[in-house]
Amino acid sequence: MVGDHAAAYAEALFAVTRVEGNHTRVEDELFRFARAFEGSEELQAALADPATPAARRQQIVEDLLASAASGTTVGIVSLIVASGRVNDLPEIVDAFVERVAQQSGSRIATVRSAVELSSDQQERLAAALRTSVGHEVTVKVIVDPSVLGGIVTQIGDTVIDGSVRRRLHQLREAF
Amino acid sequence: MRIRTAIVAALVLVGATFGFASPASASESIGSCVAEVAAELEGLTAEGLSEEEALHEVEAQAEACVEAPNPVFPAANELIWISISFAIVLFLGLKFALPAATAAMGARTEKIRTDLETAERTRTDAETEAAKYRESLGDAQAESARIIDEARADGERVKAAKIAEGEAQAAEILSRATSEAESRKAQALSDLRSEVVALAVGAAEQVVQRNLDASAQSELIENYINQVGSQN
Repeated sequence: MVGDHAAAYAEALFAVTRVEGNHTRVEDELFRFARAFEGSEELQAALADPATPAARRQQIVEDLLASAASGTTVGIVSLIVASGRVNDLPEIVDAFVERVAQQSGSRIATVRSAVELSSDQQERLAAALRTSVGHEVTVKVIVDPSVLGGIVTQIGDTVIDGSVRRRLHQLREAF
Repeated sequence: MRIRTAIVAALVLVGATFGFASPASASESIGSCVAEVAAELEGLTAEGLSEEEALHEVEAQAEACVEAPNPVFPAANELIWISISFAIVLFLGLKFALPAATAAMGARTEKIRTDLETAERTRTDAETEAAKYRESLGDAQAESARIIDEARADGERVKAAKIAEGEAQAAEILSRATSEAESRKAQALSDLRSEVVALAVGAAEQVVQRNLDASAQSELIENYINQVGSQN
């Protein structure tokens, strides 16, 4: 359930990126940064520390993203950090991604894999998922070593688990 | 009262007897007889007779003085007085002492009979009481025996109940201990199995991680894509 603040931020971000015409890239960059933020306690502590001045936290964001992301992405993240809502960043980004997918008539497929998927693999996976669920899907890949091997895909409440981790789990349950 | 009257009558009779008897005994005194003989002897001597002749003259009289009276048959005058006294005493006795004595004896007899009857009644009552006491004692003994028997029976029942209860508790404790031991054994086996499985799966995970190189990862991803694409 997306909160009111996250929905409001997502709607604003969607408006900005639509005006600038780069919402696809920004969406992808924000998605990756949000996942990195979730997986790093050190990054969470640095960006959410109230004792650190906002300018310093914004400087950290710029140092991290300036060379790898668009200026729009850096600006959005810097804005969220300066407003003191960095802990809501993953929720805001997810709402924004959902909003973009909604705009294009597709659904978000969160794909967890132990290794990065190539563009070809992502396209073929999107096509396979579209065939499977009967909707257009936007694949968002998260590199998760705990998967060990294979892929775990979540579309809404539907989970398609083809990971080695699940097979080991089944093996453990069999005993 | 009658006894007192009888005693007074007896005393009167005794006094009369001794009072009337005294003249007879005085006429027969040896002392006076000897004094008469001595006076006679002194007179003869004064008359001029020799002492030997005077003694010869009063010898028979002196022998008469010392001659003993008849021990069986009293003198006639004495016999008369004795008879009169006896008659008076007999009359007085029959007149006063005998009725009083008879009445006293009758009263005494009546009192003795009454006392005997009272004693007999008392004895009967005592025997009755003793019988009742013995009967009650017998009842008490029977009651005490019955109470002892009941107490012994109750004791046996309580003992049996306690033994049964103890045996039931022991059986329950044994059953519970056995069940607990079985449960712990099963839990230990389950824990051991889980531990072994965890170790085996962990080892398998490490083996998989080591063997999952890029080509294997790619193959897994391709298989997944193909599998998802085949679902409809």
